[in-house]
Amino acid sequence: MHICDGFLNNSLAMGLLAGMSVVFSYCLKRVYKVATTVSTITSGSNKNIGICTFEFFNGTNEYIQKLTIIAMWIFALQMFNIHVQSKISAHLIGGVFAAVILGPFAGFLVMSLVFIIQCIFFSDGGILALGANIFNMAFIGSFISYYIYKAIVNKNYHLAIFISCLFSILSAAFFCLVELSVSGTVHFSASFKNMMHLHLIVALLEAVITLVLLRLLKFACK
Amino acid sequence: MNKKTILALFPALIILSSSLFSSKYPDTLETFAVNQGFVKQYKKIVLIFNDYTLPFISNQFLSSLCAGIIGLALLYILYKMVKFFIK
Repeated sequence: MHICDGFLNNSLAMGLLAGMSVVFSYCLKRVYKVATTVSTITSGSNKNIGICTFEFFNGTNEYIQKLTIIAMWIFALQMFNIHVQSKISAHLIGGVFAAVILGPFAGFLVMSLVFIIQCIFFSDGGILALGANIFNMAFIGSFISYYIYKAIVNKNYHLAIFISCLFSILSAAFFCLVELSVSGTVHFSASFKNMMHLHLIVALLEAVITLVLLRLLKFACK
Repeated sequence: MNKKTILALFPALIILSSSLFSSKYPDTLETFAVNQGFVKQYKKIVLIFNDYTLPFISNQFLSSLCAGIIGLALLYILYKMVKFFIK
């Protein structure tokens, strides 16, 4: 689902890259603050910074370790393309997975770092389109989806994960379409149905895999 | 083996499975680009490795596996650097 170079016009791509750099710096500052004070924060009193829901690490070094391990999980899972329809594959984005475990700020940061490594080292997604990819999959798919999850989680945990995953993928696809149509690459109304139809299965797949991964992690942390 | 090691080894296992079983078909956005006819606008810029393969390894499985391991190693190096600067 990574946008390649050539699909977006340069001014939009550069604008998104600049905007996401600001968000990245802010999240980095928040995560750094958490990393340097995490040992004094007791579990449960960190709702604003959203450290994590699984208390498998304590202390500064272990907090950074946790971020790295989740980044590794997401990187590996994004490499695994699953055959979904005839001649179409899809992979997990992992935005909700990262945000639920790490919180919105660290989730965004981890997702962005994975996209940066994928883009620079493996040519997965364009360099100019990096800002757009971070916006679609890390900001919308992780940061905003986290608040959808938070709004529903008190009523039903599984439903919260399911809905936030659907929102994460479908809204990422929607904003990707908006960016492509603003760039003049596609016509919005003519391609809306095709875009959403293609990503509906991905969204369902994301929800199922995220639920399985969270359960697996919860089980491993017991 | 402690649980942290297991959690850290899990991505390596996924990469191994990915190298063996990952689908070679295009993903949803590529399919969308083909359907809407703008796939020709694609500009490929390769900085280091191309699409999770290493140019000097001809075997597809090994190439993909090594690329994945390099990706994980990069994240580990990043972790070590962050840990060094926070100390």
